[in-house]
Amino acid sequence: MMKGKIFILTSVILLVCFSCRNSASKTSEFVFPESDSIPVGEAEKLSSEAIEEISKNITSPVEIANLLQTMSVPYSPDYLASSLDANRQTTAFDKALTLGILGADLGYLNIYEKTGSSIDILSSIRKLAEGIRVGQYFDFETIKRLSLNRSNLDSLLFLSIDSYTQIDKYLRDNDRGQLSSLMIIGVWLEAQYLATQVMKEYPDPMLRDRIGEQKIILNDLIMLASPYCTNDTEFNSLCRDLQEIKDKYRDVKITYTLGEPVTEEKDGGLVVSQTETSNVDMTEEQLNGIIEVTKNIRDKLISND
Amino acid sequence: MIRMKKYFITILLLLMAIALVNGQSSDPLVSSCVMNAGPNTRYLKDFRIQLGKTTTPGELRYKAQMSLWKNTTYKFSLCNSEDSKGKLILSVKDNANKTVISSFDQKTGKIYPYITFTCNKSGIYHLNFDFANGQSGSGVGVVSMVR
Repeated sequence: MMKGKIFILTSVILLVCFSCRNSASKTSEFVFPESDSIPVGEAEKLSSEAIEEISKNITSPVEIANLLQTMSVPYSPDYLASSLDANRQTTAFDKALTLGILGADLGYLNIYEKTGSSIDILSSIRKLAEGIRVGQYFDFETIKRLSLNRSNLDSLLFLSIDSYTQIDKYLRDNDRGQLSSLMIIGVWLEAQYLATQVMKEYPDPMLRDRIGEQKIILNDLIMLASPYCTNDTEFNSLCRDLQEIKDKYRDVKITYTLGEPVTEEKDGGLVVSQTETSNVDMTEEQLNGIIEVTKNIRDKLISND
Repeated sequence: MIRMKKYFITILLLLMAIALVNGQSSDPLVSSCVMNAGPNTRYLKDFRIQLGKTTTPGELRYKAQMSLWKNTTYKFSLCNSEDSKGKLILSVKDNANKTVISSFDQKTGKIYPYITFTCNKSGIYHLNFDFANGQSGSGVGVVSMVR
């Protein structure tokens, strides 16, 4: 009888302990190196809700990659940050930024269904995520399996994007908002690089407009970084880089025409076409300036020095 | 009596463990909503909404933002959990607070489970979710790109 009770109790304890494979306990606390911790008060120049909203405004790299595919731009591994060595990213700053950059590359690979080529990037992402102690949010094994099987792209996209969303949320919820901001900035910068480099080789009015329209969210991006600009020289340098990009966008104009949406019912759902439009007014010189500054900053950030 | 108490505690612990395991598995509603968005779609993001009943239905309570881009067709899929009393509804407004799309037709009371939206004006849009008539509910809104 006694042995039976001990067995049941032990089983319960074991079941609880091993029930979590990819979730962190919400009550667990992480201890960070002091240089990665900032006093809560300093980071709260923007409310956490405002930062969360801003982070959702940033373009997904999947959208850029989808646009390129729509334009029939062929896949090229030359656009990827292949020179980045995860082992050489020593600081949390470098790891978080690189995590973002590689996340954008992963989105590009997934959309072009070059999922077999994504294994190296996945391994790097895993290493970097573990380096900033968010590895539990990246379901590496499942994503790797889906990548190798090429069976379900939607599942792959969902898991990949969801992993990053969870990492972002965890970092902000645990007063590590500066790493979340770095990750988001890294994603944006790499997607911007991709768009601008393709624009050089395959000029296209839709892509040109998309590059010009990034002006809409550039202020938000800078706001994500601004609470941390005085943290250290790395962040200060990044903030100056973002300002440099913003300067190139200063004279790009975006105008709007008004209109009412056209709506029709179809197959049980609604189909809505927007008649309002946005229009980008950007000279060739302005575009070239944006392309050049993006490349310079991105290349600097991915050099392993 | 004491024996009964001990058995009860043991069973309670087992049930708690089972609940803990289920709570930490991936959300099946999100997964199914994503997978059922359609063959020509690519997942972008999802919003998980759980709200209680409100006594003052009107303004939609769950608010989010996302950027939508010109020359892109998006699909907004709305999925309800089995035990949801209310049906999930969505309205999307632009930065000038103008309603661009709404899944709930106030005149007819019809609720559309999905909206396909061709965006021609890039910008930050405000997504507002709630459950029809302020009812309580649990659901997921999935945003996908249509290829």
